[in-house]
Amino acid sequence: MNSLITRRHFLRDTAMAILGASWGFPQEKGANKKSRVILIRHREVLDADSKIDPDILQGMLDEAVMKLCETDSPGKAFQTLVHPGETVGIKTNVWSYLPTPAELEAAIKKRLIEAGVPETQIGLDDHNARTNPLFVKATSLINVRPLRTHYLAGISGCIKNYIMFAESQPAYHPDSCADLGSLFKLPIVQGKTRLNVLCALTPQFHGRGPHHFSRRYVWNYKGLIVGRDPVAVDTIGLRLIMAKRSEVLGLAQALPPVPKHIQLADTRHGIGTSDINSIELIKLGWDEGILV
Amino acid sequence: MGDLGQLVPKKIGAWRASAEDAVYNRQTLYDYMDGGAEVYLAFDFQRVFARKYAGPGGLELGLDIYDMGSPEEAFGIFSCDRADPAAGIGQESEYGFGLLRFRQGRYFVTITSGSEDEESGKAILEIGRIVAAVLGPPGPNPGLLALLPAKDLLPDRTSYFHGNISLNNRYFIASDNILGLDRTTDCAFAEYAPAPGGTGYLLLIRYPDAGRARAAHRSFLSSYLPEAGPDGLGRTENKKWAAASLQDTYLAIVFEAPTPDWAKEIRSSIPFPMK
Repeated sequence: MNSLITRRHFLRDTAMAILGASWGFPQEKGANKKSRVILIRHREVLDADSKIDPDILQGMLDEAVMKLCETDSPGKAFQTLVHPGETVGIKTNVWSYLPTPAELEAAIKKRLIEAGVPETQIGLDDHNARTNPLFVKATSLINVRPLRTHYLAGISGCIKNYIMFAESQPAYHPDSCADLGSLFKLPIVQGKTRLNVLCALTPQFHGRGPHHFSRRYVWNYKGLIVGRDPVAVDTIGLRLIMAKRSEVLGLAQALPPVPKHIQLADTRHGIGTSDINSIELIKLGWDEGILV
Repeated sequence: MGDLGQLVPKKIGAWRASAEDAVYNRQTLYDYMDGGAEVYLAFDFQRVFARKYAGPGGLELGLDIYDMGSPEEAFGIFSCDRADPAAGIGQESEYGFGLLRFRQGRYFVTITSGSEDEESGKAILEIGRIVAAVLGPPGPNPGLLALLPAKDLLPDRTSYFHGNISLNNRYFIASDNILGLDRTTDCAFAEYAPAPGGTGYLLLIRYPDAGRARAAHRSFLSSYLPEAGPDGLGRTENKKWAAASLQDTYLAIVFEAPTPDWAKEIRSSIPFPMK
């Protein structure tokens, strides 16, 4: 399949582009089971100062994971993800301007403990995840990070969050970080990811240079994007970012440069699906300004 | 570069350098900004001097002074990402929302604050003026810019760069490097306002040799504009026009032209150098 995408793909269907069409256009595939992605939002999860209400956030996580796992309680849901007594690594993100919220880390950790994972066997790390003994020993991983644009990879999502498992990060930079999907085949990671949580409480839809963060480019979306498939989760995250960029920056800048790693994580590395027709997106909660 | 640590005061008003200064070069830039390093490495970046300032109430500013190797390269990195009003600092500048960007000679400078408060804003501008004063004289713009037709040009929207990463940050064309851009190619991307509210874009590329320019021309037409006629013109899905034409080592591509005549006019207005 020719994976070349040009600006003209987006011009071909302006309506689709305005809606934040997927980078991964519908692909010719067999009738595989769809990847389920839950988008949940709550109007009150952030107050006027963008302070998180931890109880509401816990409820959002619980509802999303219950829907994902088709269970009627958060306890049962997490028990389908992890086993009692195992070691679990929570791969978080500590970028100073927009880290994974501590409230979200705590919400995940609480449910893991309730599912029978000893607190002492839960690792929480970002930069040292590759060498952290708990991650080295982990039999399950939870992948959680905020959604934002990235100057090289287009977006920083759940796929890119595993860059810290790489021995050499620059080795993944060529061609707009095209091969980030291969991170999921590293021995420390392969087959272990049970849950991906893309935090879209305050996504960043644009940046001015590699280090830049500005409040003008984040907005209170008040959402979480949750799924077992990191590629499907990031595909929805990209749609959201594109929709916001189109709304604020204009259609010409809808696409953050250049998120090819999401599609290639599917078509080249086979770790998930970026085909929008193969993603079952379930929207829960507040829908005002939902954009996707 | 080491002198900058001495030339730039460590105490400016209520703000003091809060950590050891750091200098990163082409080999170590990844240590400073990981994936974002490619944006600078696509230019003739030499090194960056980085300092943090701590101010009242725990506020913090970050000062980065990039030695881009030449004034043309400093213009390039500055020009690829402009969004704010001029700040009157250095050779060319902009400031908004806690981010000051300016260039002076071969240097490109950013001073940023995550908090975007008024106190930090004042300090950013003050530090910026002090830094600009120690960076030496201004320098010339890239010569390629002189080939851009002046009529309807929006000068502060003109960018200069070399590689595909910069092009895609400025104006996404394709997921692959269909124009064969790298550090040996010089590119100017210009915005025009041919009518009130209207836009048109010109991408002018200078290749090291005519063979590469021809190859890129063929690649562009086959990948992006296969319906182009002998005149290199094609209508795109948004009812606008694109056009590509070759002149020796130069490739000129017009995007989103409102009419075919405008595309032809701007193309014919490029004062290509005589062989």
